[in-house]
Amino acid sequence: MKAPMEFPVVNPARLRRTQPFTLALVGNPNAGKTTLFNVLTGLRAKTANFPGTTVECKTGSLNLGVERVSVIDLPGLYSLDSTSPEEKVASEALCGRVAGTATPTAALVVVDATNLERNLFLVSQVLELERPIIVALNMMDMAQRDGIRIDIQKLQEELGCAVVPISARIGSGICDLKREISKLAGIVPAEAVGHFKPACASCSGCAFQARYEWTEKICTKVTDARAVRRSVWTDRLDGIFTDPIAGVAVFLAVMLSLFALIFWVAKIPMDLIDHLFASIGGLVAAWVPAGDLQSLLVNGVIGGVGGILVFMPQICILFFALSIIEDTGYLARAAFVMDKIMRRFGLPGKAFVPMLSAHACAIPAVMSARVIENPRDRLVTILITPLMTCPARIPVYAMVTALIFPNSPWKAALIFTGAYAAGIVVALAVTLIFRRTILPGGSKPLIIELPQYRIPGLRTAFLHTLDRAKMFVKQAGTIILTISLVLWALSYYPKSAPPTAAVGMTQQAAQVEKSGDTAKADELRDSADRLTQQYSLQNSYAGKIGRTIEPVIKPLGFDWQIGIGIVSSFAAREVIVSTLAIVYGVGEDAAEHNRSSLYDSLRHATRSDGMPIFNTATCVSLLVFYILAAQCLSTTVVVRRETNSWKWPLFQIAYMSGLAYVASFLVYQILRYLT
Amino acid sequence: MNPMSGEIIRLTDLPLQLCGIVRNIETDDEEAQRLKTLGVCPGRRVELVRSGDPMVLKIFGTRLGLAGSLAARVLVEICVPDNCGLGRKDDIQ
Repeated sequence: MKAPMEFPVVNPARLRRTQPFTLALVGNPNAGKTTLFNVLTGLRAKTANFPGTTVECKTGSLNLGVERVSVIDLPGLYSLDSTSPEEKVASEALCGRVAGTATPTAALVVVDATNLERNLFLVSQVLELERPIIVALNMMDMAQRDGIRIDIQKLQEELGCAVVPISARIGSGICDLKREISKLAGIVPAEAVGHFKPACASCSGCAFQARYEWTEKICTKVTDARAVRRSVWTDRLDGIFTDPIAGVAVFLAVMLSLFALIFWVAKIPMDLIDHLFASIGGLVAAWVPAGDLQSLLVNGVIGGVGGILVFMPQICILFFALSIIEDTGYLARAAFVMDKIMRRFGLPGKAFVPMLSAHACAIPAVMSARVIENPRDRLVTILITPLMTCPARIPVYAMVTALIFPNSPWKAALIFTGAYAAGIVVALAVTLIFRRTILPGGSKPLIIELPQYRIPGLRTAFLHTLDRAKMFVKQAGTIILTISLVLWALSYYPKSAPPTAAVGMTQQAAQVEKSGDTAKADELRDSADRLTQQYSLQNSYAGKIGRTIEPVIKPLGFDWQIGIGIVSSFAAREVIVSTLAIVYGVGEDAAEHNRSSLYDSLRHATRSDGMPIFNTATCVSLLVFYILAAQCLSTTVVVRRETNSWKWPLFQIAYMSGLAYVASFLVYQILRYLT
Repeated sequence: MNPMSGEIIRLTDLPLQLCGIVRNIETDDEEAQRLKTLGVCPGRRVELVRSGDPMVLKIFGTRLGLAGSLAARVLVEICVPDNCGLGRKDDIQ
């Protein structure tokens, strides 16, 4: 190997005059880069995608006392010439080749002190960029525990740049680090630094080998191998967690606890949010006179905002828990243990996380698909995730089972189980089809780093959660609100005058009230209201659409009234129950409080030829339709965000609805023939 | 079968707890690049911690989970057992 000869002199102060100082954080995944970024920038950080990609980039500003400098947190990478999209973007951004992103003036390389040899590989590449750099030797507390003693002075001499020992998790060494950054930024006068050039790129033979020989040489110089006493905890825990049987059992236990958190624990704040928005709606309804404005505010705006915020508890809980699981190092083991099982379906091990979470809610689940590194694998997972049974489908399942098997709880339970299983089976089948058609090839063979176990940082988890929550409200929330307003308008306009029967009832109510029978009067008014609701929904645009699509949905056993339900539940599938309640004149309240009266009237609802609408064939067909169809606007919007285009969410709607249509058609036609 | 020190075998055939020095990775593609980046590169020493598919390797201070299909492409030279200790390579030449 050639001896290091060149010492290009970099004068940071001169660089600063021409452009604002930007510090890029680079480092291996698991080196604690994000924790350090959070410590440096605090709550002011912003997360955005690199232009034209789904790769995230965090920017923030660091307070250096007299001045602030901007800091970019690049995705973790092992090498500057990696081919994975995230690492590629990180490397390009570092070199200033990403349009729309500021070229970093200097690099802060975050190095895991417990794994110096591998981490120095990246350092050697960054050194070759001839840019001012600081090496932050992170996780010094863990290195000390393991008996890894690093001669900082010597390492500094070997690398030819400042080396600062820190521990981002406990916050030690941060002041020293800030001082070094100030020097680089030219805020504090600094001696010009002669950069060392590892001269690896010019070596003949394997570039990796040359670089690793270089890192090995440095490691032997700066550390004392004899003193190293690695913690046995990682070995012990891995004995269980990576075991093909015990590991899967532990994994299932962890995942089920996570599921319990987002399914049951999240229900408490979700109910609170529901109640809160219902009472705000009630208050507004009391203050604003009945009419267009009241309906817009109560049903459109407040209902819409509540519909967005109701997802927050699940998103927050899932991301907080996931961040902790990832930070401890367990997620990598989960991926390892599940890899072989999931690979049969062409999915990576980590796909299990979104697939399970989707049973609580597809929105956080789609967002959690980010744990999957490979974008193709991530895309397949996102596409199939909404097929899992989420709680929004439960009201529909409950309605259908009550209609088919009113007095047989175990048969109802069987239908429920079958519906859940159908979601999973169809999702896996669809994955296999996608893997043979539009997204060919299996998941990439597993190569995964299993980092040392460590105590998770609550601060990092908290900031990560906040970040996801903000992102959902800001980017998905606005679109969801807009579309819910459109759907409100569709079911509210054009307005129709109350039907004569309702007018009659109201007049009658007034007379009855005069005679003192207020109970009877209220009852009459309620009936009038129900009739008005039913009449105006049937005559609204939604009603018109329902009638228009009737020929299309007739082969599935649905009439135009169910059509209104399907149209209205395009944004959120659970809406069909309350829509059917209105359409069949039971009133919206019945859907909430008096389900049995709703089921009764549905059972007795008849077609124009006198046959019951909700016969077994139609019910099962409706059930199949609601298992498969894409009827969750919020999911669609989140998928758009995660795939960075409308192409995939639209494809998702198309394939899910297509599947739902065909399956319901077959089920209805077969059942009708049999019964 | 008792692999001898100095013998070149596939990583999948490396006995548990034994060290091997990577000598070659068959077919240089994206996956091979990835392996090399993570340290499974000629000249590096690896130790098998868990066999099977996927397997767990110890390399430098960290562990690597590796699919069997990839491990089968890695050729390693078994190194002298006595010198392998805790996996630091500065004690052998």
